[in-house]
Amino acid sequence: MTFRNALTLNINGSEHEVFIEPHWTLLDVLRREIGLTGTKENCIEAECGVCTVLLDGKAVCSCILLAMQAAGRSITTIEGLGTPDALDPLQVAFLKHGAVQCGYCIPGMILTAKSFLAEHPGTPTRHEIREAISGTLCRCTGYQKIIDAIADAGAEGAQAAS
Amino acid sequence: MSVEAPAATGNMGEPHPRFDARLKVTGGARYASDMPVDNPAYAYLVTSAIARGRIVSINLGEAQNVPGVLHIMTHENTSKDVKDSKLFSDGGFSGTSIIPLQSDKVWHDGQIVAVVVAETYEAAREAGYRVKIEYEAEQPSATFESNGVQVQAAADVKKTHEDPKVGDFDGAFASAEVKVDATYFTPTQHHNPIELFTTTCAWAGDKLTVYEPSQTMYGMKNGIASQLGIEPEQVRVVSNFVGGAFGSKGSLTPRTALTAIAARRVGRPVKLVATRQQGFTIATYRAETKQRVRLGASRDGKLTALSHEGWEVTSRPDNYMVAGTDATTRMYDVANVQSKVSIVHADRNTPGFMRSPPELPYMFGLESAIDELAYALDIDPIELRRKNDTMKEPIKGLPYTSRSVMQCFDEGAKSFGWSKREPKPGSMRDGDWLVGLGCAMSCYPTQMAPSSARVRLSQNGELRVETASHEIGNGAYTVIGQIAAERLGVPYEKVSVVLGDSDYPAAPVSGGSITTASVCNCVAEACDAIRAELGINDPKGDVLAALKSRGRGAIERYAEWTPKGVPDGALAKLYSGQAMPTGGTKDKERIMFAFGAEFIEVRVHQRTREIRVPRIVGAFAAGRIVNPRTARSQLMGGLIWGVSSALHEATEIDKRAARYVNKDLAEYLVPVNADIDQLEVFMIPEEDHEVNPLGIKGIGELGNVGTNAAVANAVYHATGKRIRDLPIRLETLLA
Amino acid sequence: MINFQYSRPGDIADAVRQIAADPRAKFIAGGTNILDLMKYDVERPAHLIDISRLPLTGVEETASGGMRIGALVPNSDLSYHPLIEARYPILASAIRAGASQQLRNMASTGGNLLQRTRCLYFYDVATPCNKRAPGSGCSAIDGINRQNAILGTSDACIATHPSDMCVALAVLEAKVHVAGPAGERVIAFEDFHRLPGKTPERDTNLAPNEIITAIELPARGFAKNYTYIKIRDRHSYAFALVSVAAALELEGKTIKEARLALGGVAHKPWRNKEVEATLNGQPATRESFRSAADALLRDAKGFGHNDFKVELARRAVVRALTQAAQGTPQSQSNKKIV
Repeated sequence: MTFRNALTLNINGSEHEVFIEPHWTLLDVLRREIGLTGTKENCIEAECGVCTVLLDGKAVCSCILLAMQAAGRSITTIEGLGTPDALDPLQVAFLKHGAVQCGYCIPGMILTAKSFLAEHPGTPTRHEIREAISGTLCRCTGYQKIIDAIADAGAEGAQAAS
Repeated sequence: MSVEAPAATGNMGEPHPRFDARLKVTGGARYASDMPVDNPAYAYLVTSAIARGRIVSINLGEAQNVPGVLHIMTHENTSKDVKDSKLFSDGGFSGTSIIPLQSDKVWHDGQIVAVVVAETYEAAREAGYRVKIEYEAEQPSATFESNGVQVQAAADVKKTHEDPKVGDFDGAFASAEVKVDATYFTPTQHHNPIELFTTTCAWAGDKLTVYEPSQTMYGMKNGIASQLGIEPEQVRVVSNFVGGAFGSKGSLTPRTALTAIAARRVGRPVKLVATRQQGFTIATYRAETKQRVRLGASRDGKLTALSHEGWEVTSRPDNYMVAGTDATTRMYDVANVQSKVSIVHADRNTPGFMRSPPELPYMFGLESAIDELAYALDIDPIELRRKNDTMKEPIKGLPYTSRSVMQCFDEGAKSFGWSKREPKPGSMRDGDWLVGLGCAMSCYPTQMAPSSARVRLSQNGELRVETASHEIGNGAYTVIGQIAAERLGVPYEKVSVVLGDSDYPAAPVSGGSITTASVCNCVAEACDAIRAELGINDPKGDVLAALKSRGRGAIERYAEWTPKGVPDGALAKLYSGQAMPTGGTKDKERIMFAFGAEFIEVRVHQRTREIRVPRIVGAFAAGRIVNPRTARSQLMGGLIWGVSSALHEATEIDKRAARYVNKDLAEYLVPVNADIDQLEVFMIPEEDHEVNPLGIKGIGELGNVGTNAAVANAVYHATGKRIRDLPIRLETLLA
Repeated sequence: MINFQYSRPGDIADAVRQIAADPRAKFIAGGTNILDLMKYDVERPAHLIDISRLPLTGVEETASGGMRIGALVPNSDLSYHPLIEARYPILASAIRAGASQQLRNMASTGGNLLQRTRCLYFYDVATPCNKRAPGSGCSAIDGINRQNAILGTSDACIATHPSDMCVALAVLEAKVHVAGPAGERVIAFEDFHRLPGKTPERDTNLAPNEIITAIELPARGFAKNYTYIKIRDRHSYAFALVSVAAALELEGKTIKEARLALGGVAHKPWRNKEVEATLNGQPATRESFRSAADALLRDAKGFGHNDFKVELARRAVVRALTQAAQGTPQSQSNKKIV
């Protein structure tokens, strides 16, 4: 049998101990070992962004991040952003603007936006938002409403901060 | 511009928020590969490196040595396991008649040639790379001009195919005062839904559960049973949420049966997540087309002659075709029409339906040619369309049940600012950018299929709807729940809808934009039966009060609905997995279409020739709009698909090997957020009581028809270059 | 993806020791290229040495007025570093033109130099490719080659280097600091990447047992007159068909010094100092730019699908030099469609 390493991951504020093979990606470990299937699998090579999670607050593609490399760092998945009863403002904005269709890209889209708004406080223009989230593909495609939602959440965040 | 949700006007329902939105923004929506199963093994597909020939030998030594490998399937141990794979168009369920692992024969590049099952996904993939296959390769035929392709007239291979024709085209074209004769090309395209092609199979005794993203619960249930030689009752298919489909998940692919066989052999559930690359060859795609369009008109702009000929690529064994001339010959008032469709057999996987399968390529030809004619006549392209507008189709003279296309053009033109357009090509500029404005007509046949559903109203006010339809991003949960709520006067918040499970009453394939019309009419019938039983005939009457006053705990009604004109036995066929859609051009007395008008502004850099689309406007008339919020989403998405089909999407084929080479989302380009700027959708009020009782036409595919022509027409306006070969890339504008 | 031994060295010396000891080992930092190559079975390292936690994340000013960037500084941090934005905006711009937010958050400065080609055939292990399997042949020369090179190609390989950042580093004449078993050395940027020649499997002159420790930027940043233009099929998140980094030093309307590098056209960022020198002392006009562009592309040669790149590059050079001279650099973050 293959040798497995013990690894402790900090996911959504809780510690999880898993036994993994070195070549398992964070995406695989989240979905398969922890059961957090809100993080989606798609291209498996960082072309589409649906596997996006926050690593120490920054958006990264979990499909090309070795789980071993995430040791000791803080991982946030969509399940850790808000719950159905206590949504994150971005989740609220996505609901309000009907920015959801098949929904497959939405967890990654929201986390990509979360990372961008956190690093670029204030009110980014729609054109800046478009560029910032261009690494997350929506095929349905809800680009217009997704931009509406992120711009709205950004404006609210800026208002709350001032 | 930001619109949270369009208000209900005219013939529209309320813009309720999506039933499943909260689950989707919190990661709680479970798609097929998210479903937990006990102790799964993982499958990985090995696909062929050649497009034509045979497998000489397979060496599994290295692969079997990879730790964790449980089993490897090849044609040497699986050739008899899959019983049949009849094409859906021949009364079967499959998107291809090619059965992999049946023999040593290779029909196309990327055909499944082995399946590795292992303890982990990684082990299965590693072993997959270590499967060593020796081929005897023959020179394959890749596409239209390749040696060895076989061309057949559609009418010769398909009994039901008709090439629409009326009057004397040759005579009329010969004597026409103004003519257009042009050849157009549309490329190979792949659906690329963001969710991959996954399948999880779990056996409990002789009962099989399949978790697979699908647009056809009953098609899968019956299809997989027939492939495995078991009874449909032994199969349950579950697919509560589908991460995009666009036609690619509407027919059975070979992977499902192979995964089920693998699960039976290893004695535990097996999970398959095919890679993005494999998705290009293990499912279907939109085949490339070549079209010749000829138009003749009088000097004042009256069309006198129309000919549309199309050639479409298909696989060696299958006669798949989309034959969009069925629609394009019926769009304008023209007395002399001819058409012909041919299929071209090459060494390729079998194509299949992709969002607006016939209309997207064929309306590109027609609507580009109309724009060319407008320039030849020096008439505004909208006025040319007005001059040739008609309320009856020219082939058989059947009336349209409704056709609001010019209202769409007028509303769209107003919002778009069409009147500010300088018609001369190259005449509009903004700094370094050439500006082009173009438009085109959109259409989509209104189709419906038999449907069944169960509705249950409880005395606590809860309303539950069950039907095996599909949530593929279309908003099915929402519109179905909304119709039930409206019909019974129950608040939308009290409705729950369950879909995507073959244990529920049968619903047709979610393709051809039929779901809302088919399922909602059925649900309305079940609701009406509840009303009738409770004796509440007044639409404003309080159904819940009646239920309570009769001392009932709950009332439940199952309904079956058949659209007008379907043959007898259609409901039985629905349960055996065949949808039997009708409508569109199939009706003997009338013709049913939804219409739209699409407007595009392009910018082309005067030096480096990048093409940008800063503005898109679409106006659509599609009968009753059940939910303007989800409808707007569908139409916006369609328009972006249309722009994508004009500027971005093309599967590149290395003709030497008949092999697709850009098989991932880094190289197969779809628009990113930055490519889409202003986008406006108008829904023109339209009432049509003839199409079906609720007057619903369907809008899932309408949005992306014609857009490619509107873009090409805009590029012509900007640059004076007529591009007849998609996608339009900057190199074609450099010279 | 092959399973492998995973190790995390404590310091640079340890990392060098580990890689020198194991010929089948590779470094992993951001992982944004090595992991997808492993998933495609293009790379099969038996051992991954995770250097992502080595202390190479500083961005410091040097005594000579330049800057030294640690090899593990993430691309996004570098592009938003205030001193980089202020003094080397062409570098910040080029980085932001590449990849996506997520990838820039992950990718390291050193790793960016080592990313491998996007040639379609390099990734497809069922096809011949001299870069992946030396001696097997080049599928691109007679195949689908729209993205391939037009300059500096060989009979063995017509791949391009896909980096945007490197095009700016070429213009800035950066230095690459490396460490190996024999100690440290510095490689001039123009000597770092190679042309394919007969050995396309070697992308760079970095030895297999060496590690990049830092990138050094000379003092001159051309912050006043520069641009990075990336021409591609999408407005974002696509590899360049052609990109141009242009930097000018002007005296009034006369060019004192011009620097110019092209991306997406060759196996390395393409510079031609002789052509650049012809611009010195010339007026900053379209005519001067056009003759420089013609000279730069004189030996360019397409292979069919990519023939257009010759004319596209010519026009892109003129446009880039014009924008640089006017002080109107291309914005990479504001994607307003004009």
